[in-house]
Amino acid sequence: MRYFTTRLVLAGFIGLLGCKTQAPQPTTVAYEGVKITTEAPKDSNVLKMLKPFSDSINKTMNKVIGFAVNNLAKKQPESNLGNLMTDCMLVQASATFGIQADAAFVNYGGIRSYIPKGEVTVGKVYELMPFDNLIVVQKLSGKVLLQFLQHITQRGTWPCSGIKYTVVNKQPTNIFIGGKPLDEAKDYYIVNTDYITSGGDDCDMLRPFPVMNKGYLFRDALISYFQLLTQQGKPIDAPIENRITINN
Amino acid sequence: MNRRKFVADTLKTGLLLAAPNLITNSLQAAPKGKQLTILHTNDVHSRLEAFPNDGSRNAGMGGVAARAAAISGIRTQADNILVVDAGDIFQGTPYFNLYKGEPEIKAMSLMGYDAATMGNHDFDAGLENFATQLQHANFPIVVCNYNFTNTPMEGKAKPYTIVQKGNVKIGIVGVGIELKGLVPENLYGNTVYMEPISNANRSAAYLKSQGCDIVVCLSHLGDKYNDDKVSDEILAKESYDIDVIIGGHTHRFFEQPRKYKNKKGNEVLVNQMGWAGIQLGRLDYNLFNEKARNNTQASTIILNKKI
Repeated sequence: MRYFTTRLVLAGFIGLLGCKTQAPQPTTVAYEGVKITTEAPKDSNVLKMLKPFSDSINKTMNKVIGFAVNNLAKKQPESNLGNLMTDCMLVQASATFGIQADAAFVNYGGIRSYIPKGEVTVGKVYELMPFDNLIVVQKLSGKVLLQFLQHITQRGTWPCSGIKYTVVNKQPTNIFIGGKPLDEAKDYYIVNTDYITSGGDDCDMLRPFPVMNKGYLFRDALISYFQLLTQQGKPIDAPIENRITINN
Repeated sequence: MNRRKFVADTLKTGLLLAAPNLITNSLQAAPKGKQLTILHTNDVHSRLEAFPNDGSRNAGMGGVAARAAAISGIRTQADNILVVDAGDIFQGTPYFNLYKGEPEIKAMSLMGYDAATMGNHDFDAGLENFATQLQHANFPIVVCNYNFTNTPMEGKAKPYTIVQKGNVKIGIVGVGIELKGLVPENLYGNTVYMEPISNANRSAAYLKSQGCDIVVCLSHLGDKYNDDKVSDEILAKESYDIDVIIGGHTHRFFEQPRKYKNKKGNEVLVNQMGWAGIQLGRLDYNLFNEKARNNTQASTIILNKKI
């Protein structure tokens, strides 16, 4: 037995000599996704660093600016939340830019949260619109507006204000703006976010046209509009009024 | 002379005659390779506090204080710990709107991050702001395919860095995503986006030439796309010297790291940990790299779920 073992070892040794390199040793990797849960302990140094920031955040964010009588959430083709946000754009843009805005749009994906029934805080608005998107205005011909409408209808309809239309086979038809049929030769003041007018969501058709920009944050516009509704004794809400009808 | 000693002596003599450089490997190499634990996050998006306990899907998850405690806990279990982030540190909670990234960077410094790369949302308050917030960072920003000449970030990021953890020398390179069409032009300013693969390969080759045991690539390219847009998958397959890609941007929770063969036939890992700091990625390496094995054969990686 001993003899046999020795022979085996020697054979292996000779084999090793014959081979120029050592057998590759694989690297092993043990992987894990460590879940950071509610029960996890907290680091006191990090809590201490964070405290002045969170105290101040909570003070700002917990400020109540109005009251919602309904749960407000986004939905296609039309929702109370989408109508509320675009009504805000229309009203606040008209006041800020000193124009009579004809229609306003918000990209569906740009609405990032919802407003539950009850007190509405500044924090809710931040969740709704965390990005620093600006409200901007463009003077667009009815022809370009139609191209834009066709594009966003293809993508599944966006919330809108000031405009009413019917979708047939993913195409906008029967378009009314300010209560009158869309005139392709006429110019309209259209409110969007700067994200969209700079070509976001593939809205390249808007890029060639001058943009009126006052650095007005959409989030600030929402806060002002909600405060305005509250001052007028109104809840934070918007009606569903068949702005977009799907008719396939 | 007992048999064991005889065999050992014969081996030594034989090897000394045949291939002197093999002796160190065959007789001194411990059964264990070099040990390295990589802890990683991506797309934390200013989630400094845990998600609110409002019954939503991620309620109570995440938060920097809990992540810091988790990292400290792991530091007591293992030596040689590397902590990295693959970008989009900023944007997504009111903290960012109000403080522009200061608490995010301070938290990462307290947690002992070793390096991070830049994501597209890290441009969101402008490059000048990002550069300003770096005064709170005690770790470097690595990105090899953004040229920041004539921007506020000039001289404030580097293509790669080298970190020593115990006996492990780690090279870290960063790659960033194409900015045009994703980040408003007024935010990235004069930043020039360069092709990521050749730049990452050049940096990785340099890091290997400097004797790094492992080259880690922090990537904000995204894991993979349906078209030919450059991704971690494409980078892994087109790479030569990268050992592991810590990815981001696409917010994917990988069940396990993905494995690809690089241009040399070696295996490369890609991992990504979703977003918001809900999970901390952990990779425990028992490392036998080319240098340790001293051969030119393709290296393989055996993956095991940690239990």
